[in-house]
This record gives sequence, structure tokens and C-alpha cells, in this order.
Amino acid sequence: MSNSVDRRRFLKVLGVTGAGAAAVSACGIGPEPTERLIPYLIQPEDQIPGTATYYATTCRECAAGCGVRVRVREGRAVKLEGNPDSPINRGRLCARGQAALQGLYNPDRVAHPMVRNASGVFEDIDWDGAIQRLTAKVREAQGKGIVFLTGAEQSSFGDLVDEWMRQVGGRHLSYEPFGFEALRAGNRMAFGTGTLPTYDFANAKYILSFGADFLDTWLSPVEFQNGFSRAHAFDAGRPASMSKFVYVAPRLSLTGMNADQWIAARPGTEGMLALALAQVIVTQHLARLPTPPDASRLSALLVGYAPRAVAATIGIDEAMIVRLAREFASSGGGLAVAGGMATQSPNAAQIVAAVNILNYAAGAVGTLVKFGADLAIGSTNTFADLTALMSEMAAGRVALLFVHGANPAHSVPGAFQQALGKVAYKVSFSSYLDETAAACDLILPDHHPLEQWGDSRPRAGVTALQQPVVQPVFDTRPTGDVILKLSGKTGTFQDYLQNKWRARHATNFDQYWMDGLSKGGIYIEAPARTVRLAPTASGIRATAPVDSTGDEQTVVAFPHPILHDGRGANKPWLQELPDPVSKIAWHSWVEVHPDTAAKWGLATGDFLLLKSSFGAQKFPAWITRSVRPDVLAVPTGQGHTAYGRYAKDRSANAFELLGAQPNDYGGRSFTVRASATKTGEHRKIVTTEAGPRELGLGTTEVLPLARAKALHRGDHPFHYEETPEYAKDAVEWWGERQHEKASLGNYRGEHPRWGLAIDLAKCTGCGACVTACYAENNIATVGEELMQRGREMAWLRLERYWRTAEDGGPQGAVNQPMLCQQCGNAPCEPVCPVYAAYHTPDGLNAQVYNRCVGTRYCSNNCPYKVRFFNWHNYAERDGQYDAFPDPLSMLLNPDVTVREKGVMEKCTFCVQRIRGAQNQARLENRNVRDGDILTACQQTCPSDAIVFGDLNDRNSRVFELAGNPRGYHVLAGLNTKPAITYLARVVAQASPSRG
Amino acid sequence: MLRPYLCPIRAHAYILGPSDYTEAVPHRNRTTDLAIRGNLRSAAVVVLILALPPAALNGQQAQPASSRYTAPVITDTSSLKGPRQPIFFRHDVHTGQDLIPCMYCHSSAAISSEPGIPALQTCIGCHQLIGGSTPSHQAEIKKVRDAWRERKPPEWIRIHALPGFVRFPHMRHIKALGTHTCVTCHGDVQHMAQVSQVSTLRMGWCVRCHIKNNVTRDCSVCHY
Repeated sequence: MSNSVDRRRFLKVLGVTGAGAAAVSACGIGPEPTERLIPYLIQPEDQIPGTATYYATTCRECAAGCGVRVRVREGRAVKLEGNPDSPINRGRLCARGQAALQGLYNPDRVAHPMVRNASGVFEDIDWDGAIQRLTAKVREAQGKGIVFLTGAEQSSFGDLVDEWMRQVGGRHLSYEPFGFEALRAGNRMAFGTGTLPTYDFANAKYILSFGADFLDTWLSPVEFQNGFSRAHAFDAGRPASMSKFVYVAPRLSLTGMNADQWIAARPGTEGMLALALAQVIVTQHLARLPTPPDASRLSALLVGYAPRAVAATIGIDEAMIVRLAREFASSGGGLAVAGGMATQSPNAAQIVAAVNILNYAAGAVGTLVKFGADLAIGSTNTFADLTALMSEMAAGRVALLFVHGANPAHSVPGAFQQALGKVAYKVSFSSYLDETAAACDLILPDHHPLEQWGDSRPRAGVTALQQPVVQPVFDTRPTGDVILKLSGKTGTFQDYLQNKWRARHATNFDQYWMDGLSKGGIYIEAPARTVRLAPTASGIRATAPVDSTGDEQTVVAFPHPILHDGRGANKPWLQELPDPVSKIAWHSWVEVHPDTAAKWGLATGDFLLLKSSFGAQKFPAWITRSVRPDVLAVPTGQGHTAYGRYAKDRSANAFELLGAQPNDYGGRSFTVRASATKTGEHRKIVTTEAGPRELGLGTTEVLPLARAKALHRGDHPFHYEETPEYAKDAVEWWGERQHEKASLGNYRGEHPRWGLAIDLAKCTGCGACVTACYAENNIATVGEELMQRGREMAWLRLERYWRTAEDGGPQGAVNQPMLCQQCGNAPCEPVCPVYAAYHTPDGLNAQVYNRCVGTRYCSNNCPYKVRFFNWHNYAERDGQYDAFPDPLSMLLNPDVTVREKGVMEKCTFCVQRIRGAQNQARLENRNVRDGDILTACQQTCPSDAIVFGDLNDRNSRVFELAGNPRGYHVLAGLNTKPAITYLARVVAQASPSRG
Repeated sequence: MLRPYLCPIRAHAYILGPSDYTEAVPHRNRTTDLAIRGNLRSAAVVVLILALPPAALNGQQAQPASSRYTAPVITDTSSLKGPRQPIFFRHDVHTGQDLIPCMYCHSSAAISSEPGIPALQTCIGCHQLIGGSTPSHQAEIKKVRDAWRERKPPEWIRIHALPGFVRFPHMRHIKALGTHTCVTCHGDVQHMAQVSQVSTLRMGWCVRCHIKNNVTRDCSVCHY
């Protein structure tokens, strides 16, 4: 022993060596030889190094036209936040809007113009050469058919396209895969107007949705979600403030799982139900009847829709229909909407018209359904126009086709591809090499919306302005500039846009323009228009679809709430964000009812081959009670054959199953009959769901409405014995020691205690907070393979627990955002051997990344499972798991450390925002005020469910909410003393199941 | 009153670069913090005034020329500490001899976490007129003028670099300690012909000062 190196000696040697190493490196202090500081030539006027600048612009991820503010640091856009000035989204943003940045910095963007050469492959071309070539092509094609296909473009850009097409004798066509033809046709039938009204969810007292997924994909989701949460949230301050929400559809969507009641009516009978409700309202005089000509028209058309006559066809009780009608009318603010799955069947226009009649009978038209401020998406061309174009193309009558902002080769796969082959010359302005662009002859990549000027008129009265917030990332050009050049006009699209705006407001234009720029647009109240029943309304009939026989199933293709029609599929944030209902990420699935699955001997993950008369695709089954037994449901969005590394060859394309024939109202049918066969293949589903229910753990609490209303401040409906008797002594001792510690060093004195309140009655589970968290905190996306192994890094996840009705079926869900609870008595802290996890004086469970050695003890000891380990180096350039391939790395937030392999990470309540606000406050000689700090999740939440603040400040909002009688702590019995207070979900049922 | 730090050209004209090179970013409008930024601007001006030597504040002539520091003429640069920069920029001449306050060039140090390095425009603002008194000065100033003409800013070699996982908000330190305390960490730059790093910028060095001043030693204040 004496000869060997003992521990003491070893440590001595180690110490000396360490000191030596330190001394050596101390001598070597100085610059890294490669690090250079390159100054600006001219300091940009509005940039302070190290300080973010915000620019107002408009989100163009869908046609809703939400206003955004882009946080720019040193010339890079690092985060999108909603613009509070915008009347549409009121400062909120959805997951798709948050992910617009990943479109801007997408590694698979088309970096420069490309042309297809003689051998059929793309080669680079310079801009001048491309424009010359195109000018010649336009001249050549004049008179032989020129068509410009865009997405929904109610904007100055759309006007420019119109003008140019008039000039060259072509035409402009707009196309959205999920169009609203049925809504327009239904409105025309009932009211004689083919426009889309606005819907006032915020003031509705009773919401009845016939398939309309207004929280996720229907018309203007952020606006509607914000309104819905104000109407549907439980607020003890207002009497009877919680409006009831009933969802009628064959499948529960994100919107449906927030409903108080789900009526799984037979697909196609929704119109019948609507008319039956109207019939009860009119015959029982539950609402004030409209003035004479309309009243008699109403009663005449409702004859034959008595509940007794139609109940069996719809598949629900007669008593239920009467009860619904009574509730709807007596609420004094019933709002019925039709859309989504109800407007996808062949008789969809009838269904919409029937729902219009219901609204009209209940008096909602003109109050909650307002015509006048019409939604712009209602003026896109119909699917019938697209199919007409396709047949022209196929007949060779289109010599030159331009495509901008649309990808019909993905959404109308076979037919459009074939027709495209017959077009002499195809030009794409796409930023990505999507299916349509890949089939084109010339690609002139457009700027990303964040790089260029533009505007958008999402609805009458709102003109949203879009300005460049960063320098172009690639050698792209705004399509507006290209068109102006092609049409022989001088100036840029910016001049064109300004002239358009000048025409609207010439006096004091500069002031007007600056106003628009700083507020993100010009917002005025559009005058309301009164509508009456049209003479055609008496022809409204609701028929039930013919029951088909045979082995075929009804298959419903629904828009993916996150990837939508597939446009989000090349963004890793959106791929990694689990679908709010199924919790499946990175691939698509088919929803199968357990009864059906049992009949076919199907397990979750077994592949099912769906074969319609138009195409066949394989989907893995997800077995769920949230779909009718006679319906199979598949999401769109996946199955790209091009479009970039995150989208390509991923799962199956649901559009393949659909036909390309328009309905009689000009829309497309998203419901098909298909045979389903088990293929025998199986895959592991990529899901973040561990179990569909919380199994009585008390993590989600649900209160019946009557009970919640009776609560007073100071009540504790969820009282737990936080400390069991046998542990009292130990806990007291521990408390004393803690108390001693609280008077030492840093911990002495007054400190804030940061806390969060999350209202489960408001949370819809949409997932916007998750993506906002990814964006703010540089969270890596891990990809399909690692996610399958449960290694996703989402600091904030949404847990969805089904609530069960008496019959065993789901009764909606409770969604719970689960993130670090910043426990006052944190189990993670004492087990960390290196003090990387420790308690800050302001009550955070901090994680010091550069101290962490990766023992993972903390994660092991965390009862909430909110700590995430970096198993790989996700930020390693060109590494196997590189989550930020260039130029995606440009969106990394410079205020947050990018973590390395072997480091544990977790939610920090956006500590960088806390420190930033503290620095700013100190600079202004004041303390941090309540509301100065918004965490990323809180900032983006469309339903305002999350509130952050100081629990030690008696005047803060979070303090008030933490004392709410609905408040409870998750797993409070573990004595962890979390800083997050959840407010129980309130439901309309008398004896709700917990979830 | 003599205000040695106010360059006459800078005070009267805003110099723009050649017309084809406008700005690094296109024209946009700042939406939020507009008011705050206005305040910060004026705060920066206040800071500049406070940074004057006390004599100047009293409205008297700045220090008599005799007691003023005169930067030495350097012929042999090889013995100077610190890395060789692309332009032999003399902090001792600018701030020691000519008494230009640090924040004239590093303008965001008092309002932002980053002090910033001056844009080439800031240099040329004075050096359009000031050509240097000695041949060696003239040669270095010519480099600045050439860089401006060629629109190629010099690539300075970084001297003070913090590790990536540490945050150092400059404005908090200047707010608490005053504008003259740049020297506490960066050394006596006023008398350095070539700037070199004098502090280790290691955590122990940070914490020692934090203990001395009895301010926070919470990890998450700097590490996040």
C-alpha cells in the first residue's frame, strides 16, 4: 500500500497538475486566433448590438392574415410573436405561424433560379438570363393560353398578377386545397350572397359546430380560438359565463375534443339535424320569429323535419334533438357553424344552408354571424375552376403556366401531374422544390414573405402590411419584381405597393404609410350588411346520404391541424410537434374505432391498405374511440415525393385516395368510399402519449359547472394531505434547515418567486406554446427515429387525457401543458452531484449547463418527467443528428445557450426573458412590473391560458390566479411545492369523469 | 468651451456611404421600444456628458495641455503586448491623448449587453478631415480611408471573448459602477498603444468582484 499511489497522493498530484494546466492556460489568455470582429460599414439606424429590434409584418402561412412582430437580432430573424395591434390575432400566434422562421431559413430552399436543360435535369441560370428566356416564352405563348395559378391572394400582389394577365391575355386562378366552396354555395342558397361572414365566437353563449374545426384549420383559427376561449372559459367573476360547446361530427378533432358534448351524427346528416333544431325553435316559439315573409318561408321549409321524423336517420335520440334546440335558443346567443368534415360530403352545400337556416331562426345572423366584414378566402376560385384548368391543360390549350404559392401536384396528385405534362412551358415561383416545382421547366424562387414587401386583405376592413425584416438569405427575387420586369414596367414591387396604398389614401400619405408599417396594417371597422332569407331558401332540403352496401368504408380525409394540406411538412418543428389529438408525430395514420379494429383483428401500428376508386395508400392504424365505428379518418399533410429532407418520402399522402371531380357546388369531396385490407405489416407509432387516461393520479382535475360556480375564494375543493403523518417530523426538520438556508448569502432578503398559472378551462391543446418554446429556447428536433425511442426534447409538452362518457366513449379531452414545475422543494436538486441543478433565490430550479456532467439523476428523480437529456450532439454541424443544418442555425436565439451532448436541459421559465426584463428595469431605475415578463408560451397562447408573474407580489395576476379555488398543484401529495398552479377544467356535465 | 470629443464633421453632417451601398438592412419601421429607444438615446447623450473630465463639466477649459497625456511615438511595434490588428489603431491616442470617451465609439455599452464596435463610418466621420500628423499615422489612416472607399471593413481580432455559456450585460455594470469603470475589466486602455487582455475573464475573477461589491452570486444570473 505504501508503494502504491494512495488517494491522498493522487489528489495532490492531480491538484498540482491542474494548477499547472491552469497556469499554462492563464499565460495563454488572449484571443482565439480565428475569432474576428467585423464592424458594420454603416451602423444600421435601428439596430443596437445585443438588443432585439421588432418589426411588424404579416404572417403568410395561411390565408388568415395574422399580424406578427419579428424579433431581429443583428440582422437575423430569431422569433415571431403575434402583433397585439392586429384585430385578427390580438398578439397571439399558432404553431404554424411560429414555424414560419423555419421556412425562411429552410435548408432546402431553392437558392437561385434554375432551368431544366435538354437532358431533363435542373441547372443553374442567372436572373437576367432567366428573365430573358421567360420574356421570349411569354411572347411566344400569347394567344395560346397563359394561366397564372396562385394560392389565396387577396393582396396587391394578386392585383398585379391580374393586371399582368390582362396585359398578356392570360388569366389568374387562385387555389386552396381546402377551399370553402360549400360555405359560399350554402350562403348563396340561404341568403343570396356568396361571401363568407365573420363569426363572433367571443360573444356566443352556446356554440354548435357541425364539423367546423375553428380551433385548428377553419378560416381564421387564432382569431376564433381567442374568441372561443373568452366565451367558453370558466370565469367565476361573470355569472354563467361559460358557454356550452357541442360538436357534431363523425370524428373528434382538436376542436371537437374541447367540446362539452360530442354528437357523432352519421356523416352527411348534419343538415338534417340543423333543420330539425330549427324546426323545434320555430314551432315551439323559442326565439323571436323574423318578420313576415321570412317567417312563413321558414315554417314552410321546415315542414317534414320534426325531430321524430329524422331522429332515426341521424342516429340520435329525438329527446336529445329537442333538448339541444331548447338549450341553443334559450342561451340567448346561440351560434352554429358548419365546415370541416360536414362540408366535405357531396351534399355539403345543403348542410351549410341548413345551418344558416338554424342561425337565422335563432337570431344569430346579424349579431354573431356578421356579413359585411367578409373573409377574403371566400373569393378564391373553386375546385371546379381548377379541374376546368386541368382539362384545358390536358387538352394542350395551356401553353404557359405560372405557379406561385400553390402545390396542386401534391393535393391533386395524379390528375394534376398528368395535366402538367401536357403544358408546353411551366414556370414555378416556389421557394422550395415541391412536387409542382419539380415538374416545372423554370424555377424563379420567390423571396420568403419575411424578406419582401407585400400586403394582404384577410377580410373587409383589414389591410395587413408585410415588410422585409431580413436581408434575403439566398439569391432569390420577389415575384412582384419579376412580373413588373416581364410586363415592361419600371420600378420595384415596393413602388407598386406604395402606389396602390397611395391610391387609397393620398392625403398625408407618408404618415399613413408609417402608421401602417408600425401597426402592421390599417384596421378599420367594415360596415355590417343585413341579409335576409333569399327566395332560393325555400328550396333548401336536407337529405341523408344513401347507405352503401358492400365492404367499403367511409374514409374521411381531414386537414392535419399542424401540417395542414402539407405545406408545413418541410419544417422540423411542425413535424416534431405531435398532432393534438392522436399525439402522433412525423408520420400519418388512419383512425379506427376499437370495435372495427376488433372485427378486423387490428392493433395500433398495423398497416391498413385503403383502396378507393382513385388510388390506394397504406396507413398505420391508430385505434381510438374518437371516431365513429363506421368511419375511417386519415390526415393530409404527409406523403410528399419532393419538398425537402423533412417532408420527402414520409408516410402516405391521403390526397391519393381522393377524386379530382368537383361536386355540384364546385367543391371537392374529401369523403370517399374505400376498401380497407390489413397488409400484415406493422410499425411502431411515433407518439408522445404514454396512456390515454391519467388513471386517477390527480394530475388533471375536472369540476362540473354547477360546483365550480358555487366556489368562493378560500375554498379548497382539491385538498390533499400534503405531508403524511409518518413523515411530519422529517419534513418539519427539513423545513427548518431550509429556513436557515434562506437567510444565507444570496438567499437573504426579498426576492420574487416566479410562478405560472395555467387555466385548463382555457387550454385547447393546440400546441402553439410547444413550438414557441422550441423557437425561443433553441430546442433541438431529434427526428423520427429518436422520437420513437422517446428522446424528444420538448421542454413543454401537451398531455391529452380523454374524459369518458357513461357509454364508455370519449367525452372530449382535458389538455394539460406539462413543463418544469419549478418546485419549491425540488426532488431534482438534492440528487445532483455537481450542483448543476440548484435553487435560485427567485425560486427557479436552475440548470447550469456548463456544470452538468450528465449523470441524469435529476431526470430520474423528477416526478413530472420534464427534464431532457442530450443523447447526441444535435448542434454539431453536419453531424448525424444535426438539428440546425445551415442556414437553419440562423434562427437560434443568441440569448440562450445551445446545449451539447451529455447535458441535461429543461424549462427555465424563459430565464433569459426574466434577466432581460430585470436589466431593462434597472436601466430605467425601477423594479420589474407585473406583465413585463412574458414567457414564450404565454406570449403565443391563442386562448390566454398561461399567466406568468411573481407569486410574492400580492398585486400580480398570477398571485390572484394562484389563490383561485379551482387552483391545484400536480402531484401535490409529493410535497414538491410547485410554482405552477393549474386551474381545474370546468365541464357542463354533472358528474364528469376525470380524464 | 472646448469639447475635444465632438468631431466637427460628425456634429454637423451625417455622412452616407456611396449611393449604391445604402444600409445593411432595407428600410423598415421599428414598432416597439420606439419610445424606449428615444430615452436610451438621450440617456446615451447624458452619459457622454457625464463622461467629460470634471474640469470640462465646470465649464472651464479642459486640462492644460502640459498636464495632458501625450501618446508616445512608437517605432518598434514588435514588443507591444496583444495581437496585431489589421490597422494599428491607437487607443492611447484616441482616448488617452484626445480624451474621446469610450462610449463615443462603443456607443451601446451603456444601453445594451453588447458594447458594439464602431462602424467604419464612425472612423471616417473624423478621419475624412484628420489625416494624421506623422507619416506612420498617415499610413494607418490611409488604411481606414481605403477600407471605406473599397467598402471593406477591417477584420479586427477579438481580444475580450467570454465563453458562450456566460452572459455579461455591459449596461448593468456601467449603470452600477459608472462610465469610467471600463478600465476595471479592460485595463488602462487609455495608455495602451495596442490593446491586450489584462483580466482573465474567468469566473473566479468575476465572483471576487461580486463578493467585494456584495452583489448577486446566483449562477442563473450569468449562466443560461
